[in-house]
Amino acid sequence: MNQAEIRDFLERFFTSSDCTVLSPKNDPHFKVKLTKQMDKLLMNRPFYWHYIEQTRQKAETAVLAFKFDDRTEDGELIHFGSPRLHQIFHVTEELGRYIRLYQIIPYQQSSALEPWIGINMKVSYQCDLKKERLTSIGLQLINGTLIEGFQTMLTRLRLNQKLPDYCYTLKPLITIQSGIRRIEQYIESEINAESSKWAEEAKKRWEKDQSLLDSFYEHRAEKPERYDLEKQALEAQYKPYIHIQLINAGLFYLNSATFLPNTVKTR
Amino acid sequence: MKSLIHFDRSWHEPFFKRIKDDGPWSKAEHFSLAYLAAKERIVPNFRGLIAPSQLPQLTLHPHQVETARMVIEEMHGKAILADEVGLGKTIEAGLIIKEYMIRELVKKVLILVPASLVHQWVSELNTKFYIPAVAQRKTYVWSQCDIVVSSIDTAKREPHRKLVRQQNYDLIIIDEAHKLKNHKTKNYQFVQSLKKKFCLLLTATPIQNRVNEIFYLVSLLKPGYLGDAENFSKNYKSGERNVKNEAKLKTLVNQVMVRNRREDTGLNWPKRIIKSFDIPFTAEEQAFYDRLALLKQNEMIQPFTLLTLQREACSSREAVFVTLNKIYKKTASPMNEYLWHDIFEKLNRINQNAKAEKVLELISQINDKVIIFTEYRATQLYLQWFLKKNGISSVPFSGGFRKNKKDWMRMLFQNKVQVLVATEAGGEGINLQFASHLINYDLPWNPMRIEQRIGRIHRLGQKNDVHIYNLATRGTVESHILHLLYNKIHLFEQVVGELDKILTHIDLKNVERQVSRIFEESDSDGEIKIKLDNLTSVINFEQQQLAKEEKHESSGNS
Repeated sequence: MNQAEIRDFLERFFTSSDCTVLSPKNDPHFKVKLTKQMDKLLMNRPFYWHYIEQTRQKAETAVLAFKFDDRTEDGELIHFGSPRLHQIFHVTEELGRYIRLYQIIPYQQSSALEPWIGINMKVSYQCDLKKERLTSIGLQLINGTLIEGFQTMLTRLRLNQKLPDYCYTLKPLITIQSGIRRIEQYIESEINAESSKWAEEAKKRWEKDQSLLDSFYEHRAEKPERYDLEKQALEAQYKPYIHIQLINAGLFYLNSATFLPNTVKTR
Repeated sequence: MKSLIHFDRSWHEPFFKRIKDDGPWSKAEHFSLAYLAAKERIVPNFRGLIAPSQLPQLTLHPHQVETARMVIEEMHGKAILADEVGLGKTIEAGLIIKEYMIRELVKKVLILVPASLVHQWVSELNTKFYIPAVAQRKTYVWSQCDIVVSSIDTAKREPHRKLVRQQNYDLIIIDEAHKLKNHKTKNYQFVQSLKKKFCLLLTATPIQNRVNEIFYLVSLLKPGYLGDAENFSKNYKSGERNVKNEAKLKTLVNQVMVRNRREDTGLNWPKRIIKSFDIPFTAEEQAFYDRLALLKQNEMIQPFTLLTLQREACSSREAVFVTLNKIYKKTASPMNEYLWHDIFEKLNRINQNAKAEKVLELISQINDKVIIFTEYRATQLYLQWFLKKNGISSVPFSGGFRKNKKDWMRMLFQNKVQVLVATEAGGEGINLQFASHLINYDLPWNPMRIEQRIGRIHRLGQKNDVHIYNLATRGTVESHILHLLYNKIHLFEQVVGELDKILTHIDLKNVERQVSRIFEESDSDGEIKIKLDNLTSVINFEQQQLAKEEKHESSGNS
C-alpha cells in the first residue's frame, strides 16, 4: 500500500464512519474530527468517556491529524507499518464483518432477486514458515451455483442496504448452514488438489530434529521433563497445518442474469 | 492432507444471530474496506521478508536483512547470532521478531537481557520496530503482556520463576548468551527449562576457551544437534582445550550460527583520526602540582591519595579542591598550618587552566559538534562555565541522569548546542553517532572506559570519520598513562569490543587497580616505565594471539 492508497483508505474509512474530514483534498495533512463511536474505538481513553457520561457533560471528540511524509510538519506520520494504521485496519475488520445487501437493478428487468451467501476467507498454510491467500466465494442458495472471486464481482454491481421497492426476494432452497458446508467442501477439495510439498518438507525437518532430540536422551532410562517440553516445542515449531479463518460474510440478494454465466465454476 | 485442515467456525453463531434478529448489519463501505485491509496484509509467500517494507524509517544494512532471512528460512528460527560488536545484533533480533509477528507465527516473546540493558531493549523495540515490548516490573506482566523484557536474574527468582515457566513462549531471546556456557549454573538450567518454539541466542564471543562451551550453548538451542555430552567429547575433543575434527564441527556449528564480521559487511567503516596533545602546565599550575608531593613526604596522606590528587590536578583546580579540602579538614593542625597555607595559596594563584584553553582552541577549529569527556563532576561544571564565558553554550551529561533527562540533553545537543560535556559513558549508553569529534579532556585509568567513550560515536550510523583528541598534561602521571600504556596497546585504534575480549582472556578485569599499584609502588619514573612496559607486552601478546585465532576461524568458515 503506498502513501496515496493509505490516504484514500483513511478518507473512505472515516467518511463512511460519519466522521468529519477537516482538511481539503490536496492538503499535505489528513485531519479528521471523530464521532463518539470512533473516539471510543480509536483513542483508548475509557476513563474520559466514563467521566463524561457519568457527569452528563458535552463530550469533545478528538481530532486526528495524519501526515504522509517526513517533510510535513505536525501530525502523526502514517505508513504501512505504523501501529495506528493497523489499529484502523483492525477496527475496519470488526465493523465490516457481517452484511446484507440488495442489488439495485434497472426498472424494466425482472424484479426477482435470488439469495446468495458470500464468504471471504483467509487460508493460512503454517509450519515453521507461513503463507496465506484470500478466497472469496459466493453460493446461490436456490440452485447451488458457486462462484470464485465473489467480492470482485460485487464491486461491479450497484448494491443497497434496503430492498428496492419494486423488487422481491426468492426463497432459498438451500439452508445457510448447508451453504456454508458446501463452500467449505469446495475449499477443501481445492486444497487437496494443491501440492503439499511444503508440508512434507516441514515434516522431514520435524522428524530430523525429533531424532536428534531422541538421541540426546537415548541413554537415560527415564526421560526428564525437559524431553517432553522439547518434544512439544518441536511440534509447535514444525507441525504443518492449514487454518481457514473468516474475514467477512454476508447475505446478498442479486439478479444473477446481470453477472452470470461468465464466472460460473460449478453447479 | 485432510487432517491438516482446520476451519475456524466461531463466526457462525454471531452470523446466524444477525440473520435471526434482522441485524445489525455492517455498512457496505466497511465491508469492502475490511476485505481490502485483509488483502493488503496478506503474507503471499513462505519465503522473503515483509518486515523491512513496514519499517520505512529504519535504515537496515544488507547483512542485517540477510541474517534475519537466514535465521527464519534456513535455521528455522533457532540460531546463535554472533556478530562482532557494533554490527547491530539487536536490530537483527528486532527484525526477526517483527517478521514473525507480521506472519503471526509468534505472539508471546520473552527477552532476557542484562539488567542494565532492559530499558534500551524496550525503547529500541518500541521506537524502531513498533513492537509493544514492556519491561517486567510487576508480576502480572508475565501472563498479561505478550512481549516482555527482563533480566535473567529477576526471571529465575521466585515468585517470577514459577510464572515464567507456566508461559508458553513462541520465541525466547537471550542477550549476552555467552554467560550461559556453563551447564551447571542456575541460569543455564532455568533457560533449559523454558518451552521455546523459536529461540535466539545473542553473543559477541561465541567460541571462547573451551570446546565444551559451544557444545552447551548449541545444546540449549537444539539438544542432540552435536550429540550428547559423551559423544561430543569422543568426536570432537582432545584434552580440555583442544578440538579434533575441527572442520566438521565448524560446518555443523555454522548451520546454527550467524557471525558477521566487520570486514565482510561491505560497510564503509569510518576512520579514526587520533591526535594527542602534551600540554604543559602554566607556571602556577606546575608550582601547585609540585607542592602536592609534600603532603606525602610529611606523611599526611597515603601514596594512593597523592595519586588521586595528582590526577585531579591534571584535570582542574576545581576538581582537586574538593578532595584537598576534605583532607585539610581531617588533618589540619597548628603543626602543619604553614604547609596547608602554602598549598592553598598556590592553588589560589592559578588563574588559567592550560587544558581548558586548549579545549577552547580545538572547539573553534572544529566548528562542529564536540563531545568532551571528563572524569570529574567539578571539572564538568568548570568547563561549562568557562565555555559559556567564552560564548560557547554546552549541555551536561552524566550517567546518573534519569532516562528522560538523558534523552532531553541528547536532543538539545543534537539540535541546539555545539558542545556536550559528559562525565560518564558506560552503563545505559546513549548513542551520539551524529557527532564525530570527541575530546578526552582527562584520561581514565581504566581503558575500558575510553573504549566506551569512543563506542558512543564510532558505531553503525556514523557517517563521518571520527576524530579523537587526547589531552594529557606534560610531565605528569597522566602523560605516563597516555604514552607508556594507552598508545602502546593501540587503545585508540582498537575495534570497539576487542579490548573486553583481551582483558577477559588474560583475567585482567581490573586494569585500573593494576595501574594505580604500579604508580604507588614505584620509586622512580624508570621503574614505572618498566612495569608499564610489562603490562603492555602481556596485553599486546594476547591481542596478537586473538587476531591469529580469528583469522584461523574465518578461513575455516569459508
